[in-house]
Amino acid sequence: MLLFLARKTLGMLVTALCLTLIVFFLTNLSPNLEKLAKSELGARITDDEVASWLDKNGYAQPTLVRYGEWLGVLPGWTRDNDGEFTGRCIDGKADAETAASASRFCGVVQGDWGESSVFKRDVGEVVSRALKLTGKLMLCVMLVMVPGALIVGVLAGMREGSRLDRSLSTLSILTTATPEYVSGVVLVAIFASSAVGLKWLNGSATSAMDNITIANFTLPVLTIALYGMGYIARMTRASMTEVMTAQYIRTARLKGVSFYNVVMKHALRNALIAPFTVIMLQFPWLLNGVVIVETLFNYKGFGWTLVQAASNNDIELLLAVSVVSVFVVLISQLISDIGYVFLNPRIRIT
Amino acid sequence: MTHQTKPGLHPAGLAYAAEHKAGTLDRREFLTRTTALGLTASAAYGLIGMASPAQAEGHAQSGGTLRMQMETKALKDPRTYDWSELANFSRGWLEYLVEYNRDGSLRGMLLESWEANENATVFTLKVRPGVTWNNGDAFTADDVARNITGWCDGNVEGNSMATRMVSLIDSDTKTARDGAIVVVDDMTVQLNLTAPDITVMIGMADYPAAIVHADFDGGDPSENPVGTGPYLPTQNDVGIKQVLQRNADHTWWGTEVYGGPYLDTIEYIDYGTDPAAYISGAESGEIDATYQTVGDFVDIFDGLGWNKSEAVTAATLCVRFNQLQEPYDNVAVRRALQKAVDNSIILELGYNGLGTTAENHHVCPIHPEYAELPPQIVDPVAAKAELDEAGHGDTEFELISVDDAWVAASSDAVAAQLRDAGMNITRTVLPGSTFWNDWTKYPFSATEWNMRPLGVQVLALAYRSGEAWNETAFSNAEFDAKLAEAMAILDADKRSEVMADVEKIMQDEGVMIQPFWRSIFRHMAPNVRGTDMHPTFEHHHYKWWVEA
Repeated sequence: MLLFLARKTLGMLVTALCLTLIVFFLTNLSPNLEKLAKSELGARITDDEVASWLDKNGYAQPTLVRYGEWLGVLPGWTRDNDGEFTGRCIDGKADAETAASASRFCGVVQGDWGESSVFKRDVGEVVSRALKLTGKLMLCVMLVMVPGALIVGVLAGMREGSRLDRSLSTLSILTTATPEYVSGVVLVAIFASSAVGLKWLNGSATSAMDNITIANFTLPVLTIALYGMGYIARMTRASMTEVMTAQYIRTARLKGVSFYNVVMKHALRNALIAPFTVIMLQFPWLLNGVVIVETLFNYKGFGWTLVQAASNNDIELLLAVSVVSVFVVLISQLISDIGYVFLNPRIRIT
Repeated sequence: MTHQTKPGLHPAGLAYAAEHKAGTLDRREFLTRTTALGLTASAAYGLIGMASPAQAEGHAQSGGTLRMQMETKALKDPRTYDWSELANFSRGWLEYLVEYNRDGSLRGMLLESWEANENATVFTLKVRPGVTWNNGDAFTADDVARNITGWCDGNVEGNSMATRMVSLIDSDTKTARDGAIVVVDDMTVQLNLTAPDITVMIGMADYPAAIVHADFDGGDPSENPVGTGPYLPTQNDVGIKQVLQRNADHTWWGTEVYGGPYLDTIEYIDYGTDPAAYISGAESGEIDATYQTVGDFVDIFDGLGWNKSEAVTAATLCVRFNQLQEPYDNVAVRRALQKAVDNSIILELGYNGLGTTAENHHVCPIHPEYAELPPQIVDPVAAKAELDEAGHGDTEFELISVDDAWVAASSDAVAAQLRDAGMNITRTVLPGSTFWNDWTKYPFSATEWNMRPLGVQVLALAYRSGEAWNETAFSNAEFDAKLAEAMAILDADKRSEVMADVEKIMQDEGVMIQPFWRSIFRHMAPNVRGTDMHPTFEHHHYKWWVEA
């Protein structure tokens, strides 16, 4: 088990390293650096001003050297402008003495994730603010989606081919086949628009950042949940129908166990193994969904931050976002691997 | 508007009054130009036999919070501001020397008054007495001189104030000329210009001209918000929210001069660039006013029962060619494309007719020096023939625009007309975050331009050879010379004669397709008062209030 965990952790680090290298390389292509300089100095500056800014801020060094600086394995750059020192590890401008006493290395290894060029804040602060908001959204989505999907799946799967099965299956296919950017707009039009809709709920979740209410949070949660729900429900149904035809279920029924007890005590646990993986796989999918939903509902969480970082070429924020994404994906896989053991004692992790 | 006092009267003021009475100068232009010379607004109104409009703030209520939708961008050194939004947040604590008002007049804020000599080469600025910074320091002539010197520093990257202060700058060192800015006494500053320049005072009302304290180090002004204004920034989350809170520990000079401020809190909430999100925000009760309402959304917001405020402006859209790039280096191509487009149709399709048609020379009828030229001929058939003749009949043109609703719609309408004329054109729509990275370099693209109070200003900023914002790469010695000549003429009629030539050069060279001048709109909830739309998007917070 420990060996397994160690191997997984190592894999995670290597993946993160590879991904950040790719992101670093892409964000440091020269047109992207130019974009960065322009978003710092103003959209309407000249090429000379761009070159001078890039040089002054350490972007003129080779990409690999700067990747090393970001990681914290190479010393950060410093620059002497007639006694005024600037540098990666120096805050603003400093005199010679302060510059000399500043630490030589400042990168991820030292716990310094750098500063976001869009938000003018520490990357750590921006990411944690965003994760907190998205965390709330995710929690609500999970609370709605998982029980909902399991109930729908079990109800549909316990009597294959029945009228209940057919209608629930159609519904789940419909919700899964509708992407968030369609269902979100449809839901807003029906429930939030004052021109044509019912105006029961809010079409904007901006106020939910400070204060979550039923009115401002229902639609974003529902938009993501509906999409994932259909998929999980389908998987649960498939797994349930398979279990329901198994020998031991027939035995139980012949023994005279009531249908309710057959489903709850004998079938459910075995039927949950497959959906469990799917639910865990939904985490990375949800990251995908929040990008759309947070932009649509103007909720400033992780997905929205990712969009802002990417469209403004915010190098250090993008790197942090990719590291977080790698960890979310791989840790959810790790949990699902471990979870198997508890659901099915026949599976062992060595 | 009645508190600025000045003995004597600039001779041009009387000349302008005569012009106004003769009907050659409308009231708006009259006000802009006389107040720029140092007349008070009420004195200016007096010259033309009118009473200054009464202010409707008598029954204003104090207190409360106003939430406005606005893109909340990261602040930087004010003189490098490139968006009005930046200034509108920092206006809470950073004020201006003078203020451009909705009626076209200029009134003193941190300056009590100013006057020009006869040929507009020497300006004397009088500092308003009794103004203090919110850290207790007194506001003096040294502060004024220091800020103007800072504006003149062309070596600061992105400092657009330098282009507004050209007549104070030494072109070799790119800094303020020796003796250009003189502190006469504690309360007086004198500006000595190299050439007559009628735009200096109006330039000081522009949004990058925020007055900063001596301790300001050139970074984000909200980090250590020392200023003269009545509010303080309490939250500055880029892309999310910016909050201004009434500064209880600071006595604002303006309360006894102009009244206000009334609101306790002003919140700017970011809803991105999609107007549909503003509607959602308004329907959800999350905002009380929009920053700007555009296109189809004007009707939709009317439908919500919100009040509409309109400002007539010289703001426009330039569908311009970059003359350094093939095939737009050929004037025949540019003229042919221009000839195939009917500007009134673009106004109808792209902006719902909410404006007036323009004449492809970027001088607006509301500008004082506007000269009327014969109407341009629209003839798609002839245009196509000319294009064939130039050897570009089959060339594929690409029109690039940002994804803003009305800009994209207008560009689509331009492309559709070119297509109807038998030309080969594709459209590319870029998101706002990437479009502006290369805005001066696209071969053929649409750019939104905000208004400047004088016609010569935007020409000097955008079409003079070698200017940083010259997106057309237009470089024409005759144009430069004529424009310089126009900028030295105080008298509008005489300037207008020169401007006729300038405008003609712009048209003949086919610099751009400029479809329309747009009116701009803001919507606000029924209980919101004083947040009228301003032609240059300025937010005068001290005029705002909400009905309880």
